[in-house]
Amino acid sequence: MIQKIPWTLLVFAAAFFVPAAGSRYYTFLANDVVIWALFATSLNLLVGYTGLVSFGHAAYFGIGAYTTGVLMKKMGISFLLAFPAAGVLAGLFALVFGFFCVRLTRIYFAMLTLAFAQIVWAICFKWNEVTGGEQGMPEIPYPNFDWLEKIAAWLPFVGGYRTSDYFYFLSLVLVAVCLWLLRRVVGSPFGRMLTTIRENPERAEFIGVNVRRYELAAFVVAGAFAGLAGGLFGIFNRGVFPDFAYWTKSSEVLIMTLLGGMGTFIGPALGALVLIWLNQQIVSYTQYWPLVLGLILIVLLFVFPGGIAGAVESAARRLRRRSAHA
Amino acid sequence: MIRVLTLLMAALLILPIAAEAQKPIKVGMPMPLSGPPALFGEPATKGAQMYVDEINAKGGVLGRKIELLTRDSKADANEAVRVARELILKENVDFLVGTLTSAEGPAVSVVAKENKIVFIAPIPKTDQLTAADKLHPYVFRVAANTTMEGRSAAEIVAKWPVTKVATIAFDYAYGQDVTKAFVEHIKKLKPSVEIVDQQWPKLGEQDYNPFINAQMAKKPEAVVSSIWGGFFVTFSKQAKALGYFDAVKYNFIGLGEAGSPETTKSMGADYPTGIWGNSYDAFYWEDNPGPHKEYTARISKYLKDGYPSSWAIQGYIGMQFLVEAIKKANSADSDKVAKALLGLSVDTPVGKLTLREKDHQANRGQLYGKTVKDAKYPFSIMKPVTYVDPTKFMD
Amino acid sequence: MPDPSFVFAQSLSGLTAAMFLFLIASGLSLIFGVLRVLNFAHGTFYMLGAYGAYQFVQWLGATGARFWLAALLAALGVAVLGGIIERFLFQRLYGKEELYQLLFTYALVLVLGDAAKIFWGTQQKSLSRPPGLTGALSLFGATIPYYNLFIILLGPAIALGFWFALQRTRAGRFIRAAALDRETLGALGVNVNALYTGVFVLASFLGGLGGALITPMRAIVPGMDTEVIVEAFVVVVIGGLGSFWGTFLGALIYGQVLSFGILFFPRFSIFSIFALMAAVLIIRPWGLLGKPLK
Repeated sequence: MIQKIPWTLLVFAAAFFVPAAGSRYYTFLANDVVIWALFATSLNLLVGYTGLVSFGHAAYFGIGAYTTGVLMKKMGISFLLAFPAAGVLAGLFALVFGFFCVRLTRIYFAMLTLAFAQIVWAICFKWNEVTGGEQGMPEIPYPNFDWLEKIAAWLPFVGGYRTSDYFYFLSLVLVAVCLWLLRRVVGSPFGRMLTTIRENPERAEFIGVNVRRYELAAFVVAGAFAGLAGGLFGIFNRGVFPDFAYWTKSSEVLIMTLLGGMGTFIGPALGALVLIWLNQQIVSYTQYWPLVLGLILIVLLFVFPGGIAGAVESAARRLRRRSAHA
Repeated sequence: MIRVLTLLMAALLILPIAAEAQKPIKVGMPMPLSGPPALFGEPATKGAQMYVDEINAKGGVLGRKIELLTRDSKADANEAVRVARELILKENVDFLVGTLTSAEGPAVSVVAKENKIVFIAPIPKTDQLTAADKLHPYVFRVAANTTMEGRSAAEIVAKWPVTKVATIAFDYAYGQDVTKAFVEHIKKLKPSVEIVDQQWPKLGEQDYNPFINAQMAKKPEAVVSSIWGGFFVTFSKQAKALGYFDAVKYNFIGLGEAGSPETTKSMGADYPTGIWGNSYDAFYWEDNPGPHKEYTARISKYLKDGYPSSWAIQGYIGMQFLVEAIKKANSADSDKVAKALLGLSVDTPVGKLTLREKDHQANRGQLYGKTVKDAKYPFSIMKPVTYVDPTKFMD
Repeated sequence: MPDPSFVFAQSLSGLTAAMFLFLIASGLSLIFGVLRVLNFAHGTFYMLGAYGAYQFVQWLGATGARFWLAALLAALGVAVLGGIIERFLFQRLYGKEELYQLLFTYALVLVLGDAAKIFWGTQQKSLSRPPGLTGALSLFGATIPYYNLFIILLGPAIALGFWFALQRTRAGRFIRAAALDRETLGALGVNVNALYTGVFVLASFLGGLGGALITPMRAIVPGMDTEVIVEAFVVVVIGGLGSFWGTFLGALIYGQVLSFGILFFPRFSIFSIFALMAAVLIIRPWGLLGKPLK
């Protein structure tokens, strides 16, 4: 009975009510969660599903953010074009970087992803004319919401929303679409092959699969969606800054993925929700959030390596077994 | 019975209004409180807090107390934007007074504009904050700006018997703009001056050796630097060891407040005494207008320091302007306060300052002087120290 | 054609930076060679060594040889900390996935970094050069501070000392054997766990020593850990993960590229470091002097 309820649809619908129900701050947090959920899920395609540990995923996030930022702010191009451009450009970079990365394994792979991410950071940091350098690019314009306001004017109980609320709705819809697409990818034969590659790359090679090509494809897809997340984030953050591509950003999203659970699709999104919520709570009491995060991470690694989703799943399995025996 | 009910109703009506009037005016203050910039950021918050305490002791403004909420912006534009938005959206602050670096200032200015919150910048100097294309009704600056600082430096350097000048500055808005202002002005004052070298370490650099060597190779006769805060401490330690100051015969001017008491105090004997520097304030500044002596006594007591920091005054002045504007507007509404700030003059401890309407910039000059050792103090001071009025530098 | 004395001075500043990096990176390389783990927390050991030196100087004073004592005590303190972490926490993760070990070291970065902030606050701290090494000498027209010279000589001295220890002593032979084939070593009756702890302790000592010795030259600030670890990664990758002399060579190259990068392509000096790292990984992943992983 519980399986039949379309939980994801309910959560999605409920998310639309956040601006009406909560304060501006909750909309802000929800918007943050939604974008990071996409970023973390894109990384999980690489880490959880393909078994490739990337330490440089923030590079594509940063590229996406700067692409949208530069196109919308400096060239006045509309969001309709600038947003997909973020994904396309990030995907292209992922193609070039990934081509070299997938030829390596394990620690070398991780190091090269890190090196490429730092290269992206160094360029964003020093290319003052285009990226604004150290200052970054403050004031990325919001997309034009006139059409949405016109629609809202017709419907009775809707309307009176701020621009930031409209952007939240837009992010929600776009991220939902992206997550749906990623879900399709993961469930497809391609996605299943990735899991096979993760479990035993030699066996995959043996049965004739071009492992490298699959890994590269996963790399590009992951990078492209990270770029889309970045494009949204640049606007949400009201500014694009070089540390979007710095390696500590990559580790933040990796921790989120681990926290939520790398073994499930919804895990990383859950991790994003929990981590951002937890951050908010802790920061009001103490400035030592990294200490708390580090301790949580240690507990996770030793006790709950499957993350929250993993822990929930194993608990559910135990319950089912007990009820089956009863 | 009816009388009781009426009284009860009246009380119920007045209570919310009274409660509303009692609600404190919240002011958000993003400031770097960690790392090398904290050398300047931390005292700035203390100066602001002292002013707030003084005002609250007198009953607050418009019958409401002021509540200052400080947050660590880590001298990072991204972080400053984040804490500013948190202050606005979560804490519902009425005003923003803060930021230190010229990367943070313009970024937070954008947030202030979108949320229609008055933002007074007490420290960021980059011209871009109040430039024509970035100016909006809610941003104001009570710090000096890079045009004023660069030109003041040019006036001083023009008097030195040198023609080959080098610059060293951080590669971001502040370093770039102040160096540009200096170069443009000195070429006007003394066309024979030649800029022989320019070095651009990144903001936050810890190893200046390669930059120092590269600059010394070009054999400059004078150097204009805008390395600031804790970074100046690290830079000059390395530079002194390499004989940098000797090579230019101490014809070195440290903009970015290298002459400030906290810098000289924290370095003690390691300080390259003999260089020129500037500062927003100095407790030993004797011939000054305004109630400076009395302010110095108060801040000294507040900070429990016989040699109080010079940065407290900027936080203090920032809050002064805000409170005076609230009084003038007779309201804590952002739009009314923004209007009240235009052309507002305030008697600050360094004299009368006015926020001009044209670009929301105050005529805040700085103290300039050559550092010397003084037997009275265990650290170097600027002597003689002169307040350079910036009005002639403001176009 | 740049002035020769300038070229000399610039290469010396590159050498100084290189020797500090070598101290830190050698520990990182050692841990990777034997334990097959990239220790993110190595930058934190460096930072704790710096704070430790500062603290001991506060307690002991900086006169005479006190600074050196403080530096040594700080390095030893970090070594002990490293040993405790390895023995009681890290050992439990040995069977598990590499990712977990990596993330554990990152968790250490978070926890220890904040612990340093709690103890020592967030303001920057600095120490002066120790008495006896405060001056400078003039060589080929360049001014070389004595302390820099000391560091430049100390680096190779430690490198040689290490190399001897690895080649000639019993413990050294065990370490080299563990790097090649730990299962067989265990089967031969060597207490591999104790060996691992020992390696971790030694590596932490080196990292802490690097941090302690850098205090007279640079400021002690929060964030110095995350900055240096990436630099150490670059060095170790260029030289060869697990190769001792590779790390030395990598550090030398890094120092010179950064030094002269600032002269010839100032905007791209940071970029060129990472481009070099990527290039090595693409062309010769096991580094200039490394051997391919099995």
